Amino acid sequence: MSTAGATLAGLLLVILLVSNMFLSKKGVTSSPICPNGSISCQVSLGDLFDRAVKLSHYIHSLSSEMFNEFDERYAQGRGFITKAINSCHTSSLTTPEDKEQAQQIHHEDLLNLVMGVLNSWNDPLLHLVSEVQTIKEAPDTILWKAVEIEEQNKRLLEGMEKIVGRLHPGGLGNELYSRWSGLPSLQLPDEDSRLFAFYNLLHCLRRDSHKIDNYLKLLKCRLIHDSNC
Amino acid sequence: EKLGFMQYRQPPGKPELIKCRSPEKETFSCWWKPVSDGGLPTNYTLFYNNEGEESFYECPDYTTAGPNSCYFDKKHTSLWTIYNITIKATNEMGSNISEPHYVDVTYIVQPNPPVNLSLALNKHTDGKLYLLMNWSSPPLADVRSGWLTLEYELRLKPEEGEEWETIFVGQRTKYKVFSLIPGEKYIAQVRCKSDHGEWSKWSSESYIHLPKEFRLKDMMVWVFVAVLSSVICLIMIWMMGLKGINMVACILPPVPGPKIKGLDAHLLEAGKNEELLSALGCQGFPPTSDCEDLLVEFLEIDDSEDQQLMPNHEKGHPNKNLKSGNKETDSDSGRGSCDSPSLLLEKCKESRIPPAEFQTPDFSETQVKAAGKSSQETQNRDPELKLPDFNSDGVKSSTWPGTQLASSQIPKGSYHNIVEVCKVAFSAMNVNVSAIRMGNEEKHPSKYSKNIETICEGEMTQRRKGESFHSKAKADQALQWLLPNEKSPFLSDKPMDYVEIHKVNQNGALAVLPKQKENSDKTEIYPIPGTTKEYAKVTRVVDNNVLVLMPESRVQGMPVFQEPPKESAQSLHQSQAEKNMSYCLTAPSEFRLQTGGLEYMDPNSFMCSFK
Repeated sequence: MSTAGATLAGLLLVILLVSNMFLSKKGVTSSPICPNGSISCQVSLGDLFDRAVKLSHYIHSLSSEMFNEFDERYAQGRGFITKAINSCHTSSLTTPEDKEQAQQIHHEDLLNLVMGVLNSWNDPLLHLVSEVQTIKEAPDTILWKAVEIEEQNKRLLEGMEKIVGRLHPGGLGNELYSRWSGLPSLQLPDEDSRLFAFYNLLHCLRRDSHKIDNYLKLLKCRLIHDSNC
Repeated sequence: EKLGFMQYRQPPGKPELIKCRSPEKETFSCWWKPVSDGGLPTNYTLFYNNEGEESFYECPDYTTAGPNSCYFDKKHTSLWTIYNITIKATNEMGSNISEPHYVDVTYIVQPNPPVNLSLALNKHTDGKLYLLMNWSSPPLADVRSGWLTLEYELRLKPEEGEEWETIFVGQRTKYKVFSLIPGEKYIAQVRCKSDHGEWSKWSSESYIHLPKEFRLKDMMVWVFVAVLSSVICLIMIWMMGLKGINMVACILPPVPGPKIKGLDAHLLEAGKNEELLSALGCQGFPPTSDCEDLLVEFLEIDDSEDQQLMPNHEKGHPNKNLKSGNKETDSDSGRGSCDSPSLLLEKCKESRIPPAEFQTPDFSETQVKAAGKSSQETQNRDPELKLPDFNSDGVKSSTWPGTQLASSQIPKGSYHNIVEVCKVAFSAMNVNVSAIRMGNEEKHPSKYSKNIETICEGEMTQRRKGESFHSKAKADQALQWLLPNEKSPFLSDKPMDYVEIHKVNQNGALAVLPKQKENSDKTEIYPIPGTTKEYAKVTRVVDNNVLVLMPESRVQGMPVFQEPPKESAQSLHQSQAEKNMSYCLTAPSEFRLQTGGLEYMDPNSFMCSFK
């Protein structure tokens, strides 16, 4: 039964991926203004930031929903929240924690942080997609959200790299990155532990996606609209 | 206060955190539910533990957010961290700690409602009216730096409506609404939400009253309807005119005229009716054409000493005769029987003498005009001829141009065209006297005069027939007009004799009977062709409202008309003895003889010899 379920899940995933290619026009993806990255054609920085903000907003919305669904379904009464303290792999990256700190930090540093967080989530997201399917009776909504988040995150990363390339052609220098080592916890045989691993991962994803979204909106208003949004 | 036994002096219950909220993602507050205090004053303390820190801190501010609250200002607020909050209730008996609440400020953002919602009506480029809604973000929210991103939502409804129309606006702070009903009063509200937070409360209501829209389309529809209906009406009227339908007659049927008992007006209408005439006993009737002149009475105001008789052979233009200045006195006064009054009245009504054409009796030009002006003046003052005035004071000379003229001019023997006089009277009755013009007789069509003659004759006949026939005051007045009242200076002071018109023979001569014996002599002076005396003209009008008839001048020649006016001034008195001397007119020919002197007339004398 599990194999049949897995086969079905895999088939569903494939269908989702295929459909995603055709149907994933949720206001996040847009037809490229500059196909093939021709040099002569240049998207304005404002447009780049608009796209980036749209993506980050979308990613956080998905993450938040996914977390809530998971929390409702699997984490009730287990006290996962108490354990999910300082458990995010990206906590090593010191990020501003309030508005004053965020406004004081230089935009390059902020950009650096954004890039670091985004990069740090590449790997976890990938495994999330593969591992969330192993959750017993995982609802489809969680599944496809995981897929979507992973997809969009890659796009956001590309966009941010473009922005950084515009703002700092020589590169930012410090490549911040936090390595994720939570994969084994996602594969724990203990259901409870495994679920907590997922819970934690989703909790951290929600937080970090919100951070990225907030930072990018700050940067956009600061750099594009001169702090007059 | 009395407490239950169980509640007396107990440690407090377990507090519970209700909610925590951050309005701008920079501060936040938490509220807890007060617990049963066990009858003792209870102290609450809030402890929180920041994620990643070991120690617990107490609430920095218990008051700002209200009772049973804790306010975390900016210093104490960190995002993307989990707060472990506990509340401890303490009283004398003990304390109680609530369950830990894990709060991440990131996810408890609920802004305050937007402010300054303004509604304004503007005109779009294509002329359409729309509602422009403007508002501002809540004061505490920092949207400018991008720290907080707000999305707005509007809702509208007519004041009387029940359901709100909700519109998601996005991040803009203005919105145009097009689909509103003109003339309605609308209520509008706005709320906002942090990009990932909760919706705020609705703002306070704003009102706007839309004006009633004047749509050109609506007006065009009405204009089109009006034009179409008017066109249809015109077409209908034109078609009715083509078909000869007399709508006026349909709507306002003519008032039937008075009928003489035993006399069928329609028979008379037909013209020479041998049967009727034979029935009436008239002989030699109707008179031939040459008798027209006999019936045409000329009223002439003599402006000079001359007493001249007017030749009345000019049948077609009696006015001209008067105008010619021939002044002839006609001492005779006669009366002639008229046609059936109903007939005459009907004809009169049909003719509908327009006031503009109405003209006073013929008078000498100079005299007429001189007097006419004065009378006109009086009349202009009183353009509306008031009929009752006649009755009250008799015939006022001022209101009757004829009389006035005559009074000023006619010493004696003036010829008056009774027809004209009657016309004056009748028209004055029917129309505004101000329209009466004097001195325009030459333009007066003969036919017109004839019509009036019929009217006048009819009136007079009616009058003669007695008061009983006078169902209409008009008739009275007409006749009164025709005859000058006693005060009228129209005529000389010489007494007149009145004669009765018996009949008109074939020669067109009037047969008149003397009223009084003293006049009989005079009457005899006037040769009457045929067996009876005939008077064809009215010389003047006696102040007794009597027309003085003259014998026919044409046949008798001038001498006949040389009679002194006084002699001719004879009131038309009919002697009751002469019954068969009534003069009958049947055809609406020129035989029109008006007689005045209502009081003097004996109906019998005027009756056609029915016997």
